[in-house]
Formats: sequence, C-alpha cells, structure tokens
Amino acid sequence: MSVAAAVDRPTRPRPRIRSFVVAAGLIAFTIFAGRKVGFTISTVVNLGNLPDNPFQDTIWDKGKIWSLFWPIPWDWVFNRRNVIDPLLETFQIAIISSLIGCSLALPISFAMSRLTSPNWPIYVVSKVAMNVIRAVPDLFWAKLLVVAIGIGAFAGAWALSIFSLAVMVKLFSETIDGADPRPLEAAKAAGGRHIPAVRTGVLPTVFPAYVAYALYVFELNIRASLVIGLVGAGGIGRVIETQRQVFQFDRVLGILILIFVVVIIIEQISVAIRKRLV
Amino acid sequence: MIRFENVSVTYRGGVKALRDIDLTIEDGEFVVVVGLSGAGKSTLLRALNGLVPASEGSITMDGTEVVGASAAELRAVRSKIGMIFQTFNLVNRTSVLNNVLMGRLSAVPAWRSTLGLWPAADREVAMQALERVSIVDKAYVRASDLSGGQQQRVGIARALAQEPSVMLADEPVAALDPVTSRQVMGDLRRINQDLGITTLINLHFLDLAREYGRRLIGLRDGYLVFDGDVADVTDDTFTEIYGRPISHEDLLAEAAVAGTDPPTDPDSE
Repeated sequence: MSVAAAVDRPTRPRPRIRSFVVAAGLIAFTIFAGRKVGFTISTVVNLGNLPDNPFQDTIWDKGKIWSLFWPIPWDWVFNRRNVIDPLLETFQIAIISSLIGCSLALPISFAMSRLTSPNWPIYVVSKVAMNVIRAVPDLFWAKLLVVAIGIGAFAGAWALSIFSLAVMVKLFSETIDGADPRPLEAAKAAGGRHIPAVRTGVLPTVFPAYVAYALYVFELNIRASLVIGLVGAGGIGRVIETQRQVFQFDRVLGILILIFVVVIIIEQISVAIRKRLV
Repeated sequence: MIRFENVSVTYRGGVKALRDIDLTIEDGEFVVVVGLSGAGKSTLLRALNGLVPASEGSITMDGTEVVGASAAELRAVRSKIGMIFQTFNLVNRTSVLNNVLMGRLSAVPAWRSTLGLWPAADREVAMQALERVSIVDKAYVRASDLSGGQQQRVGIARALAQEPSVMLADEPVAALDPVTSRQVMGDLRRINQDLGITTLINLHFLDLAREYGRRLIGLRDGYLVFDGDVADVTDDTFTEIYGRPISHEDLLAEAAVAGTDPPTDPDSE
C-alpha cells in the first residue's frame, strides 16, 4: 500500500563538522594542560619509585605505613572531650549556618529571579552581590572570618552561612525562573501587590524545591564544616588538623571512620525526605 | 460603564494588536467577543485591566482612566475586574480555597496575605464564591486533583471572590470538552444575571457565541468590524469577521460530533 505523498520528505541532515572540530579541540587542550603541569600517567603507575620524592623509603614501605594507622585507639576516639564534643560542634555549625543561609536566601532568591523581581535595580544589585559572594571560596571565607572575629565555631558558623546563602540562591532562583508565570498573572489581575502576589501565586509551586535544596545545603555544610575546621574555624576539623600535625594518624583514621558513618546516615535520611518532597 | 476611545495597542516589535477601537459597554451587559487567533480579542480584555498597556487612546472604567495609571490606581481598577483564563492559571500545589483567596488580595493587608493569615470575613467570601459555582465541597482539595471543568469553576470562584463589577473571560472554555464548556458558559451567564456583573467573554466557537451572547463584538486584524445584537448575526456576519466562510472547526457542536477535543490553541494571541 502506498501513501500519496503531498510533500517531499526532508533529507536527513548531515552530521555537523563543527562537533568534530570542537571534540578534537577539547582533546588537544586536555593533553596540553596535562603536559604543562607535569601530569602523566606514568607518574601514577610508578608512585612507589619516584626519584625526587624525599619520603620514598618511609612512606612506601608497606609495613611501616600500616603501623602508622593501626590499631585505631577507639577509647580515645569515643572520648567526649577528644572527639564527640567537637563533632557535635561541627553539626551545630552546620545546622545554624544552614538555617541562617537558607532563611536569607528565600527573599533574595525571589529578588534575583526574572519572574518575581520587584524591579530592575533590585534584580541587578542582588544578582551582582550574590555573584561576588559566590566568587569567594568557602575556605577563604572561613580564613577571612577567623582573622576578623577570632578562632572558633563562631567564625565557622558565619563562613558557612555565607556559603549556604551563595549555593542556595543560585539553585533556588533558577527554580523560580522556571516556575509557571500564569498564577502570578492571575494574582496581579486580581489587584494584588507584588509581594503578596508572589507569595500566593509562586511560592506554593516552588516551596517543595526550596525544602529539598535546604536539606542538600545542610548535607554540604556537614562536610564543609569538617574542612573549615582545618583553618581554625572550630569543630572536628580542628581536631583532625591537630592530630595530623603530631603524626597521630591512627587517631585521624578513627575520626574519619566515625565521620564517614555519621555522614552516610545523615545523607540517607536527607535523601529519603527529599524523595518524598519532589 | 466601560469606555474605549481611539485605543491602539502596539506590542514591542511593532505588532499592532488593536487599532483605533471605540467601544462603550454599559453596566450589566453580557458581551461576547469573537475573531480569529491574533485578531486582538485577548489584547482587548487585557488592555482593560492594564495587563497589556494601551499605546494610544483612553480606557475608562466607571470614570477611572486605565491608560497611564499609577501602580496603585491600576490595583484599584483591577480589584473591581475579575479575570478568568483559558488555562485556568491556578496554583496547582495548593488548596482550592487558597486559590480562591487570591481573589481577596486587593482587599486584605499585604502582611496578612503574605503570612497566610486571611481574615475570617475574607475566608467567608471565598467560601460563598465556591458555593456559587457548586464546588465548595472541594475547598480543601489540591487544585491539581480537580478535572478541567472543576478547575475552571475554581477560576470563576477566584474572580467572584473579588466581588467585582466586571468579569473578563479569556477563552474560558477553549481547554474544555463540549459538555463542560456548556456548564461553564451557563455558570457565567447565571452570574451575569444574578449578580448583574458586566461580562466580557472571548470565544472561539461561533455556536457558543450565538447561544450565550447577547451583544456580539467582532475583531479582525485589530479592527472592530462588528458590534451588534446577537439576534442580528447571520453566517455572513461571521464570514465578514473571519474573512472566510465558517468551517466545522468554528463550531463546538461539530467538534463534539467528530468526537474530537475542541482545537486548543496554546499560543492564541
């Protein structure tokens, strides 16, 4: 059976040469970059046999390296003063900074979304300010605040609040950009002011995403609060750094295993909640 | 009373949607606007409540000028004009009642609506609006859990909750099946008769326009080409408005017989 063709079928478009050129360019650039910094595959393969590594003999003697980490002094690890309290402090930093960062992010995200920004100047100012904050790495914020307000958890909490804010506004404002604009039009048509119109017309649509992102930011903060401890911003990270400096690698390993278990548990809970939300 | 005087709307990019419209609509009228996609029907309604700013001319509602009005003046005018949309424009993730309460936005202080602390009196207005479209039993159901016809009735209730003097309906039945379309048109006519709300409806289907309209306005390429009593309308009138003979696609009944959904035009105007 043949069908009468009213219109000629289009010819299949040829694969574009540009894609190949781009791919070749990327490969060439990767090889160039690797050579420039001395990254070669052979270095990785010959790790235990490098001529210019001063720790050659000590580090790569398998018996020796194992004895540095083993046995793990669990008594020391599960001591409240040594590890448990600093670990709790880490979680406290993560919780308070997630709360501060995510609360601030809620209004700012609406201000820097094209859909819900009240006016052009507020849009530009909030967008630029958030880009500047995000341009500074979280570790650098921590160092800056340790210098500014002193060593300890207080500086860490502020550093992570700023970090949470930066991550949160990026994720959430882009979600708002993609929200359905039509209920907002209805709210405006009913004579609503801007903020109530956004609150009633847009927020219910994007709120589940907001909660999901907040949980994700909390997960990030748990891990980030370990790292910022290294620069003196409180929490378990500081304990890891101190023990590392005095070569107590067995204690460090014990702490890392404990953190690993706790972080996995928290992530599983967070993932389970987020799945129900979206 | 609504008055359009020499109203033109030119969109950015130079598309002229309305050209030199003169129109007077008395209180309590039930007006149906017909025309092809892109003829300017939607722009006509949106120019009245300022969702689309008119480029030239004057639009007044009960003596208040809409063209060039300040934000506060515009909100005051909009509070008296309920609007119903082709795609319902409900917030899917919240309850029917919360959707209807959006109609109270202009009457409730901003801090109260922002915090969700709606006064009892306004909740009562919303509930009565839901009763008027016989859907009050769904007040606490999520809007997305309703059928299309039910969602449009929520849209009508939201507009009614404004206690408006004018109702604008932009293709209110284009996304609905024929039976539901008639129910929704019936609701709109009943509201017009019972409450005396001036009603302007854009319609795609000519038989619906004839059945429910009393005054008919025809737009073609942004020009007002017909304005008169529905009783005087003949097939030739529609040919004049549409610039072509009537086809079966223009009739809801035909679409129903063919067993197909009415043609929905996602980017109609």
